Amino acid sequence: MRNAIEFRVYGDYALFTDPLTKLGGEKLTYSVPTYQALKGIVESIYWKPTITMVVDKVRVLNAIRMESKGIRPIEYGGGNTLANYTYLKDPCYEVQAHFIFNLHRPEMEYDRNENKHHNILKRSLLAGGRRDIFLGTRECQAYVEPCVFGEAPGFYDSYGDIHLGNMVHGINYPDETGRNHLEVRLWNPVMKDGVIEFIPPEICTQVRIIADMQPKQFDENNVQSADELFAEWEGWGMK
Amino acid sequence: MSWLLNLYETYESNLDRVGVIEKKHNDREYTLLPISHTTQNAQIEVEITEQGDFHSARVLDKDDFSTLIPCTEKSASRAGSVVAPYPLHDKLSYVAGDFVAYGGKIKKEEPFAAYIQQLEGWANSEYATPKLKSIYRYLSKRRLIKDLVDESILYLDEDQKLISKWEKKYERSPGEKPRIFTAVPGELESAFIRFNVYSPDKALTKVWQDKELYDSFIGYYSKLLGEEDICYVTGKQLPSTDKHANKIRNSGDKAKLISANDTSGFTFRGRFAHSHEAASISYEVSQKAHNALKWLIHRQGKTTMDNRVFLVWGNDATNVPSLTDNDNIFAMGFGTESSRPTAIKSHTNEELAFDLAKALSGYRNKLAVKADSKANVNILVLDSATTGRMAVLYYRNLDKKLYFDRLIDWHSKCAWLHRYQKDEQGELLLFWGAPATRDIAFAAYGPKANDKLIKGLMERMLPCIVDGRTIPQDIVRSATHRASNPVAMDKWEWEKTLSITCALINTREGYNVGLDEENTDRSYLFGRLLAIADVLERNALERSGQDKEKKRSTNAIRYMSVFSQHPERTWRTIQNALQPHQAKYGQSLNYYSIMIDEVASKIPFDQFNNEPLTGKYLLGFYSQRYKLYHNTDKKKHQANTTETNDSQNDNTPA
Repeated sequence: MRNAIEFRVYGDYALFTDPLTKLGGEKLTYSVPTYQALKGIVESIYWKPTITMVVDKVRVLNAIRMESKGIRPIEYGGGNTLANYTYLKDPCYEVQAHFIFNLHRPEMEYDRNENKHHNILKRSLLAGGRRDIFLGTRECQAYVEPCVFGEAPGFYDSYGDIHLGNMVHGINYPDETGRNHLEVRLWNPVMKDGVIEFIPPEICTQVRIIADMQPKQFDENNVQSADELFAEWEGWGMK
Repeated sequence: MSWLLNLYETYESNLDRVGVIEKKHNDREYTLLPISHTTQNAQIEVEITEQGDFHSARVLDKDDFSTLIPCTEKSASRAGSVVAPYPLHDKLSYVAGDFVAYGGKIKKEEPFAAYIQQLEGWANSEYATPKLKSIYRYLSKRRLIKDLVDESILYLDEDQKLISKWEKKYERSPGEKPRIFTAVPGELESAFIRFNVYSPDKALTKVWQDKELYDSFIGYYSKLLGEEDICYVTGKQLPSTDKHANKIRNSGDKAKLISANDTSGFTFRGRFAHSHEAASISYEVSQKAHNALKWLIHRQGKTTMDNRVFLVWGNDATNVPSLTDNDNIFAMGFGTESSRPTAIKSHTNEELAFDLAKALSGYRNKLAVKADSKANVNILVLDSATTGRMAVLYYRNLDKKLYFDRLIDWHSKCAWLHRYQKDEQGELLLFWGAPATRDIAFAAYGPKANDKLIKGLMERMLPCIVDGRTIPQDIVRSATHRASNPVAMDKWEWEKTLSITCALINTREGYNVGLDEENTDRSYLFGRLLAIADVLERNALERSGQDKEKKRSTNAIRYMSVFSQHPERTWRTIQNALQPHQAKYGQSLNYYSIMIDEVASKIPFDQFNNEPLTGKYLLGFYSQRYKLYHNTDKKKHQANTTETNDSQNDNTPA
């Protein structure tokens, strides 16, 4: 696919919190990653306000297993408490994702150079991502590396369909929808032979408005062009 | 599929069980509750005629007081001085309109006003039934206490006030204390009253068992629910709730699976400012899923001493053999085939193994025919770290066929011959298969192990059974150490530990209980030697008549622990101890002496050293001993017959 990357992401544990178990604080993971969790991983590899990352599909390589741990979360009011968090054990996924230009950011129009961004994206992936990679929550450190999607053997090959029930697809932010709301999308995925093909965010029919929100502004005050930076570096070199 | 959705669907596929009272083995009643309903213990039953007049009343017995009552979200969670009446049956202070007139104390508002207003709303709605209208007509007359006093259920003192606590001075003759005062815990205001409608010519269903009335309240109440929102479980637009059930494991359990009143810990905070922003769940789904869960836990949940719940159920047919136990696999009732271990007379483990596999696969086939391919099995483990919240510690949803394949696999892989279980008559059962996870915990950590340790191990064993993972080495090692130290335990306990440890070790080795004469593994052979020495000495002790009570342990048993660490050196000690016996009963013990030579000669010269033995020596020990005690070659060595009987009696737990 155009502008696409394929990578494998793995770690010791993963926690894609089921929002229902989040209210009280005893977190339980979904059995598969959400679209948003994977989008976050892709954005950790490389992201610019010019582009929007789209996750196409994910493949679950290892059998879905859970393991619970006693965790001492810190309370906002000071002190801490004891809770049981339930994690996925030995998660390993193959992901295919691509980027498109974010048309809700006209101010970044000058930066719409497909070839450049795709090449940076591929280089960043090879280097293991630009930012920390984690699976669902911050304590679940993970690693990315390029792969060919569907090549390695997986536990769910020829397993058939698994209906996952209703789950969160992702979160709509105003800078990607053009609407000044924070919204949550839900959907009803089916895992076929270990592969979940994600529907694109705009097709999700179950959308729930959470709160009002304004998009973050990007302009000359917080964005520096490569040419400027280069000139700066050249300037240092002269001294 | 998500665990909540599976619970919800379990409720939907068991709608015929709703409101049906079932009894547990300990005679405790439970039922699959209709939504918007709960159970309460009532002390007084009031019968009302269809015209709405008082008919009769009685104080209820302990075996009859459990009542299914409708409830609202508010009343289900009322506490302290909050006035939140149940819709129909409630306490005296709520339902009696003349409560204040007879001296009842109220705090702020009158509970009856709130109660009768709520009842009026229901009775005047389109959902109302004739029975409900009769009850409403009677209660709005505000004369319940008067009628109960006339019926001699309640009593008044000289000032025409209700007696809320019985005192000596009220007694007209000694020892005469009305029944109501013993039936009600605390003061009379909290006496719970249920209503029934009486008809002289028709047989009416009891109000609290009337399905029509359940549906009436469910229909009426569904119109009063909060705003609609997307339900995260079903994805449908439904009225949502933020009050979820507690009392999930038992009636004293305050922990909730879904709690939403967290205003200081803010585990959801980040993107979301309020809990309703983080997630929403519909009233119907929350009620049904929680009711189904409670019902399942009552029916088939295994609760450890520390209140951790292990639950296995199927969506379509809820009864599924549990993976943490072995006894209920036999007790499931696989039809008329001989599946009870008592029925198995043979001594060959292959036959036992075959029976077990047959039982399980027979069960699988039976289910597969009934429910084609969509059947699933759910495994759920629940526990709470604090009193208020409960967490799902493990959840798996697998294809039912796959689940049975895994169970068969586990029971044929982690299998050995056990003889520690008893049947109803108290007879020891010979049983071939995998030990229960709890017994594995006792084998590895001893019978006095900490509850937390045991439930932790039980949880760690789940992936071994469900996913076919290898058993964690620390568990095997710990069990091996304990099994190597027989002097530290009673004989029956050691035998149990030994056979369980053999099962654990055998998961990797795949041996048979039947002796493998060809096996040249060093540890296995050393184990065989130890068994022969043990049987030889026991035999000699029997013969000499020194050990009538069979209390004395042999040298082989006493040195077992050292033997496993330094086999060569210890073997010399054991063999020296055998010599006097051999000298004394030379001829009759020859059989064993020859066998010792035979086995020892199989150990290669360079491997007969002091290197510690692996767990396999236990397998060699067990198999050799089993062979010696079950030897059919009786002509040559008559003594063996008595030995066989002895060995079986020996295992009786002290």
